Amino acid sequence: MSEKILTLWYGSGLYNLTLGQGVMVLVGLLLLYLAIQKKFEPLLLVPIGFGGILANIPQAGLALSAAEQAAHLASPALLEQMAQTLKLSLDPAAGIEAWRHSLSEVLHGDISPALVRAANDVAMDGGYAHGMLYQFYSVAIASGIAPLVIFMGVGAMTDFGPLLANPRTLFLGAAAQFGIFATLLGAVGMSALGWMDFSLNQAAAIGIIGGADGPTSIYVSSILAPELLGAIAVASYSYMALVPLIQPPIMKALTSKREREITMTQLRPVSKLEKIVFPISLLILVVLFLPDAAPLLGMFCFGNLMRESGVVERLSDTTQNALINIVTIFLGLSVGSKLIAERFLAVETLGILALGMVAFAIGTACGVLMAKLMNTVSKMPINPLIGSAGVSAVPMAARVSNKVGLESNPHNFLLMHAMGPNVAGVIGSAVAAGVMIKYLG
Amino acid sequence: MQDSQLINEGLALMGLGMGFVFVFLTVLVGVTTLMSKTIGRFFPEPVAPDVRDSRAPAARQDDDLTAVISAAVHRYRRRHKR
Repeated sequence: MSEKILTLWYGSGLYNLTLGQGVMVLVGLLLLYLAIQKKFEPLLLVPIGFGGILANIPQAGLALSAAEQAAHLASPALLEQMAQTLKLSLDPAAGIEAWRHSLSEVLHGDISPALVRAANDVAMDGGYAHGMLYQFYSVAIASGIAPLVIFMGVGAMTDFGPLLANPRTLFLGAAAQFGIFATLLGAVGMSALGWMDFSLNQAAAIGIIGGADGPTSIYVSSILAPELLGAIAVASYSYMALVPLIQPPIMKALTSKREREITMTQLRPVSKLEKIVFPISLLILVVLFLPDAAPLLGMFCFGNLMRESGVVERLSDTTQNALINIVTIFLGLSVGSKLIAERFLAVETLGILALGMVAFAIGTACGVLMAKLMNTVSKMPINPLIGSAGVSAVPMAARVSNKVGLESNPHNFLLMHAMGPNVAGVIGSAVAAGVMIKYLG
Repeated sequence: MQDSQLINEGLALMGLGMGFVFVFLTVLVGVTTLMSKTIGRFFPEPVAPDVRDSRAPAARQDDDLTAVISAAVHRYRRRHKR
């Protein structure tokens, strides 16, 4: 009888909970708190936070592949079989715990996908299956589908009118991308100084946080540095929620009161035909110059064309509502699955959080400075405040520009003017992502 | 040695990336402006003639209406002066 009770106890979560898992459950709860109480990007942080908690339930292994689960739980015979497949020699004297440890190490390290598949097959034959969240991750993110479908939805929600009325605001969207590359350099510099250990690929994936574009950063890191995806996605979405706090001090520091009061001329009306032709011409440019950005910008243009053509109302409606909502749920849970204690609780995560913040700040500053430059050169007055909207984060960044503008001049509505650089920022960060994938992928 | 190589790679990627983003968006500005001008010149709002047609009777109606209303106002004022 007492033996049975002991078995129950050994199988319980409480007995198996490691310190790391406990901490990660708390991190998940913190994300839920931020989402529910503080309204920080709740649409994403609720699934991410909950997924993070699910991923850290001891013994359940929801976020682990079959082989990883087997390494934790399987019988010695199966462990030996797996070690054989992985061409790993297990020291018979070391004991079973050491075997489990070295097997997990090997599975987490960089071994060829063929070996991982073979190990998974052995584990599946032994009766182990992929965890639920692991399945979500492989379908939604590892395949690259979820961020792209979301990008299509974003395209279907985007109105290029303000951008078409004043195409020069595209330069603001370009300038704000400097945050991405400055952060990349920062991450590389940190590894050179020996504080962190980031490869160039990882540095690039971290830098893209500065693009302030959730789907883009998830897409890039799933290609360049899947091991950092959890931290990058969390940093990216948390900072997007913090845009109204991060940006205004930088914007005010870089502009004088007089500059903030500049009123801009009314935007010209844009014809329907222009709006239809724009996504097509953008797509042609992508085809000609940067095929690597084609997945992201292609889906973006497709979504936008569905919206503007006006003949596929139903598809456009599905894309911007039902479909994007469904995909968001799975994207969030899959990102949460990457919040596993042994991979998230590292010094690197702190580095990523710090660098992400710097990326945002530099992007904002560069956008504002570029707008000041353009204001001195161009005949048409440009309020430097709209420059900060160049870091995508649609439409939050544009609202921030509007709000700061109203503080200086209560009759100056910058929202529509700021939407131009805002959507330009989306294009800009997708182009930057394409360059990085081309260079490093 | 390896560190400086990493930094050099980073700098190269930064220059290349930033340069490319600017070039691409500059071309996009050019193409967009050109497109808008072309469309503005050759397809000046294809719905425009329809609009004028539909506006014309509306305008005529408006004229009639204005005449009637001003006559009424005129009469009202005259009556109240007395």
